[in-house]
Amino acid sequence: MTRRLLTYLCIDTSGSMNGEPIVAVNAGLQALLGSLRTNPYALDSVHLSITTFDSEIKEVLPMTAVVDVILPEIVCPRSGATLLGEALERICEQVAREVRKSTDTAKGDWKPMLVILTDGKPTDTLAYSEVIPRVRAAGFAAVVACAAGPKADPTQLTRLTEHVVSLDTMDAASFGKFFQWVSETVSKDSQSRGSSSAVALPPPPPEINVVL
Amino acid sequence: MAAVVTLTASDGSTVRFIDEVKARGGVKDVMFSPDETYVVAFYRGPADAASRERLLEITGRYRERIFGQAGGEYLKNLYCWPTAVVEYAGRLGVVVPFYRACFFFEHGSRNDDRLLGIRGREKVGKWFASPGHRARFLDPRELGDWMRHLRVCVMLARAVRRMHMAGLSHSDLGYNNCLIDPTTGQACLIDLDGLVVPGRHPPAVIGTPDFIAPEVIRSAHLDEGDPDRKLPSRTTDLHALAVLVYMYLLYRHPLRGDRIHDPDDAQKDEELTMGAGALFVEHPDDRSNRIRAEDLRPGESPWKDTRRLPYTITGPYLSALFERSFVHGLHEPALRPTADEWETALVKTVDLLQPCANPACEQKWYPFDNSTLPRCPFCGTPHRGKLPVLNLYSSHEKGRFLSDKHRVMVYDGQSLFRWHQNRFIFPNEKLSGDDTRRVGYFVAHQGDWYLVNERLSGMRDVSAGLDIPIGARVLLEEGARILLSPELGGRLLMVQMAGG
Repeated sequence: MTRRLLTYLCIDTSGSMNGEPIVAVNAGLQALLGSLRTNPYALDSVHLSITTFDSEIKEVLPMTAVVDVILPEIVCPRSGATLLGEALERICEQVAREVRKSTDTAKGDWKPMLVILTDGKPTDTLAYSEVIPRVRAAGFAAVVACAAGPKADPTQLTRLTEHVVSLDTMDAASFGKFFQWVSETVSKDSQSRGSSSAVALPPPPPEINVVL
Repeated sequence: MAAVVTLTASDGSTVRFIDEVKARGGVKDVMFSPDETYVVAFYRGPADAASRERLLEITGRYRERIFGQAGGEYLKNLYCWPTAVVEYAGRLGVVVPFYRACFFFEHGSRNDDRLLGIRGREKVGKWFASPGHRARFLDPRELGDWMRHLRVCVMLARAVRRMHMAGLSHSDLGYNNCLIDPTTGQACLIDLDGLVVPGRHPPAVIGTPDFIAPEVIRSAHLDEGDPDRKLPSRTTDLHALAVLVYMYLLYRHPLRGDRIHDPDDAQKDEELTMGAGALFVEHPDDRSNRIRAEDLRPGESPWKDTRRLPYTITGPYLSALFERSFVHGLHEPALRPTADEWETALVKTVDLLQPCANPACEQKWYPFDNSTLPRCPFCGTPHRGKLPVLNLYSSHEKGRFLSDKHRVMVYDGQSLFRWHQNRFIFPNEKLSGDDTRRVGYFVAHQGDWYLVNERLSGMRDVSAGLDIPIGARVLLEEGARILLSPELGGRLLMVQMAGG
């Protein structure tokens, strides 16, 4: 049995993402998928799932092997809340359901990855605070959060993970670079599991700011 | 359009590159020269004196040690060796020849490459060593056949052997660092700027997963100064080479079985699978790491079914080396076969090949299984007609011939070469011009097989006591004894007949 590397993408579709940002995100996802498909390691193990969050939480792409993924067009409403806390709760449930555990006779999955992209801050602050320990306990190998644009609040995200990347602008170029970095991270991870115990992230491209 | 930068390299040559990152490796950014005959790969970290010295050695003295000797021209095809060092904007870079065109996908993936979009990309070995990728993703025109895979392995063993002869070890051998072309049987080692010279330059990385030797993984948690810590070296290269050969001939990993070492932690389980608990999936006595055939994914059968395609289908020479590598030498580095032994066994295995009679057989060639009624192990098609088997003996003193444990199978279009004629001649990079031309060939006529003498002046049918002049032919029949050369080391063929 080959172990799978499940990757959860959690994408903000609140009103402020409307217009150029969401177009750029769609293009970025397309590039991410294209790049993973050209990597023989990623093809072997990487599976993707996409969950969007605004006032509603939607699993727009259920967990699917890279070669079989058909990307949905991600759309966002004109206005709405940013229910990041609730979205993360859903993802924790998904992880509990989907990640195959090893048994004495069968090999289970690798520790999964979580990628969060938001341009604001969670409006469900209580739910968000409550879900943080659950995310930390869910057994992710790495959680990468991207704070996009001037209104994003990286300090909220640093409560969740030490890997927070900040994009100054929300145009196609910045998102493109971010997704390229995600692709490198996932690709590298899909081939380097086994050589070292800690998952090392590749350095982000210089145009992106890492919040320390 | 990005600017073209012009620099003077360490060897005094003028180096030009377009200042635009075309590819990103683990530690380097790659730029192309305007005419695309070479690339300049810059390290992302700042330049330091130790790295500069190491790169200057690799592009200077070590390069000379490999290419400045007999066979140097031939070896240029086996390595993408850095030619010079440059410095630009505080960063060190190496100048490396562009990969040859055969190492980029011409057709790519199935469905006119719409499936994956890999046309024009590098042929990283991983694509060809995975049965699922071969069966589901790659265009069948990219796959080559078993003979060409065997040739790929010969090239790799030769490249590693030559480096080891020069006192260098690769230290990160694996399918990421070799490009292969199964459609022509070529292979080329790349990323050679990480080379290790024992006692001089310590290895920078512990290697690529799947290829790191068990003793390196087992001791990776220790300090570098610890005497028990094992770092990449010549003997770990030999583990990686054995794994590569196994994977390119059988399309499965020799240690990735279904044994579970740690059900609670996948990472720990992986470390044990490849490290302290590493066990050959086809170990003759310990069956606990067998691959369970019932769990295979689409496209993985029959390759991952070790009962249908055991390692022994690769023939006796390679089987013996697989046993030494994965049964005896897995945890005993000193017992591992050398690259020289691999090269010899692979070259001898080429002589065991038989074309499969089934035109639809994907592998097209298979090694003789030493039976009287051979059949293709890949598609099950039996051999048709008579099959002469030539056993090679060579003279050690006048009139005394000893077995070389080397067989040559006969088929239409098969040839004899200088290295069949004399034990002291071996086909490698040092063989030149005249010695690479064939000296005789085989032909079937009305159900019988003949050997035609083209260039052997001392050929003689010993059984009949007759000379066989150039241009004449001799019938191959059970028990026939044919002398190819009367010189010391000259070969005597002893013919056996198999097949119906």
